[in-house]
Amino acid sequence: MTKQEQVKAIFIEEAGEIIEKLDIDIIRFEENCGDFNLLNEIFRGVHTLKGNANAFGFTRLGEFVHHFEDVLDHYRNTQESIEDHNLELFVGSVDVIKEVMNCELDAIATLPQSYDGCLEKIKNLISIKKNKPSFTQEPQESAAELKDLALEFGLSCVEQQQNSIERSIKDAQAKQSEGLSVYKIDLTLDSDCYKRGFDYLLFLNMLAQKALLLESFFNMEGIVEIESFKSGENYIGKVSVVVLTSLSRSEADEFFEFLFDHEYEINLITPPVVEVMEAVVKPSLEVAKAAADSGASNSMSSKSTIRIDTFKLDELFDSVGELVIAQNFIAQNDKIRSIDDESINRTIETLSKITKRIQDRVMSLRMVAIKDTFDKMKRVVRDTSKKTLKEVHLIVQGEDTEIDKTMIDSLSDPLIHIIRNAIDHGLESDADERIRVGKNTNGTVTLKAFHKSGNIVISVSDDGRGINKERVLAKAIERGVISGDENLSDSQIFSLIMQPGFSTAEAISDLSGRGVGLDVVKTSIEKLRGKIEIDSKEGEGTTFSMVLPLTLAIIDGMLVRTAGEIYIIPTLSVVESFRPEKEIVHVFKEKGEFVSLRGQYIPVMRLSDVFNLDAAKRIEPWEGILVCVETEGGRIAILVDELVGRQQVVIKTLGKTLAMLKEISGGAILGNGDIALILNVDELRPLVEVAHV
Amino acid sequence: MEFNGDILTIDMSISMEEVAEFEEFVRPRIDYIETIEVEEEGALRSSALISLLVSLKRTKPELKIPFLEKGVLVSQKYGTIHWICHD
Repeated sequence: MTKQEQVKAIFIEEAGEIIEKLDIDIIRFEENCGDFNLLNEIFRGVHTLKGNANAFGFTRLGEFVHHFEDVLDHYRNTQESIEDHNLELFVGSVDVIKEVMNCELDAIATLPQSYDGCLEKIKNLISIKKNKPSFTQEPQESAAELKDLALEFGLSCVEQQQNSIERSIKDAQAKQSEGLSVYKIDLTLDSDCYKRGFDYLLFLNMLAQKALLLESFFNMEGIVEIESFKSGENYIGKVSVVVLTSLSRSEADEFFEFLFDHEYEINLITPPVVEVMEAVVKPSLEVAKAAADSGASNSMSSKSTIRIDTFKLDELFDSVGELVIAQNFIAQNDKIRSIDDESINRTIETLSKITKRIQDRVMSLRMVAIKDTFDKMKRVVRDTSKKTLKEVHLIVQGEDTEIDKTMIDSLSDPLIHIIRNAIDHGLESDADERIRVGKNTNGTVTLKAFHKSGNIVISVSDDGRGINKERVLAKAIERGVISGDENLSDSQIFSLIMQPGFSTAEAISDLSGRGVGLDVVKTSIEKLRGKIEIDSKEGEGTTFSMVLPLTLAIIDGMLVRTAGEIYIIPTLSVVESFRPEKEIVHVFKEKGEFVSLRGQYIPVMRLSDVFNLDAAKRIEPWEGILVCVETEGGRIAILVDELVGRQQVVIKTLGKTLAMLKEISGGAILGNGDIALILNVDELRPLVEVAHV
Repeated sequence: MEFNGDILTIDMSISMEEVAEFEEFVRPRIDYIETIEVEEEGALRSSALISLLVSLKRTKPELKIPFLEKGVLVSQKYGTIHWICHD
């Protein structure tokens, strides 16, 4: 990758992050359009995007964000209240930015349909706003009055002008708010400036476009009488400009980049001295508290972050995995353990602690709060609510819960689908229907993240009509998904709605109801080594819970031994394990072995059969342990010789040959250096499917 | 530019070249001019115009230039411009 390509890749990544943040912030702003700090933040994002887009020749994106920036700039400077239809325009503009960015990245010549219309609206809005006088307020005192007063007090021309400038600075400071700066710019153009194509007015015009307040003071002392006057020469010795603007110092500098250094001087006017003094005399503890209380802006300055390629993190993670294995080998090695030396034992113990600490810290590097993903869902709820004409109240809980970065990226689509589904089908069609059953007119969708038994659960609940079990069963029978003879539990019935092609929606909308979504959601979650659980009460609502492992690189596994081999069963799938009584084990002709558990017949699965292990070591179910696991096809009981233990294992991918074994999802190196295979329990199921009763 | 009796009227939005022409015109006639009116339609295009007006005022203090005496120009294009030119 060339340097240019590297820089472009960084831009694309940054632009993606900015757009993602814009998408979230614009919805937050829509909810609270009086938050001008947030508007400033949105403006800064758009501004950065504009600069980067133009730098990389993404002119269509650059043009759009340029105008969008102008309109945002107007509102943040004037703090004018934003009309509802203009808020809608802002939200739509962010959508256009997302689409144009994709067009730019894929070099698609055709722009999105909404581009021209949205740009036109923005331009019209700017035009309307700019025609309203803003900074050109009438001066409080005319120059003539000032002159008279000056004469009365015997002030010189220079002193008068100095006083006027100070008054102007005070005016600007009085109007200053967060994100705005006051500058005093002194322009002292050379006498040949007109010949070089420069005029003071040129710079005033440029500044005026970015200013909330702009006053300039022309020093005319050096003007000569007409005999010596040549209109091609500049006699105005100095022009002092006071400007209240959002421009940064470097942006202001850019306006004057073609002038000689001695022809301009920019001074940032700091807040009045008295306020600074107050801050200085505060006791250090109070200052520290104030800094802590002042929130994000201060914490930004104290936090230092660097951007790291996730590939490097993965490599680091792998290395730590090796370290853990090596450390386990040392800790569990019989020869080393037999050494009767306290210092060696203590060193091994210390090594174990340090390894664990490193492992935890490296793990934490990959963990990010789910907040950003949840924030994105606010937009989904908003849009779906508008499309379905249903008033929806979104409750978000546990947004600080951390989850593996790799999983975060794959979670958005399933979440979007489930949320749309909840609003479109879960909630009642209209407010009257809700009122009739004693509910609030507004539907509620709750998005929640929390830790449970070493896993992370992300749930989407609605307080809608719930799932009608009878309808689901009828539909499943009609579609041939089930025969109708099965004795299915509630959760198994609800799970039917995630079968491919299954939909009970009577009307297909563009949001959901096409029967292609939930099975895709299920597959996506399973790819993350997770599962979906559905709980529903008719008339009260439905909850979709996505149960996910903490990370994709490590799983919590149950180690079992069969015919002398160790296998790992993901603990997430394990429901219970037990040694069965002989009486509850049954053999059905041509259907195989079953265990009767609490009135349910569960097929028994022998690992020795699946992997063609030593038949001589075959045992009876009541001689071994049955590990009951939940699979997508229902529960099965895996017969093993013994339970070895439970531990976190680093997942290692297998080579191409072994990858063909669907019953195995990976391998892991155990503490003693042995290799154990990790079972893919869902793929064990088809082998006993015929035996299901 | 319009010369009516002893009142000379000029447009504020004259270009740099027109300022030079105005300078050439007014230089030999300054003694006959009592008032210079500046039509404030349009935007100021060159600061040289203000310089020239100040120069004329400095040359002939009794010359009336109401535009200059206001000492201020409020414009959407340039913000608020002040000048003080008394001696």
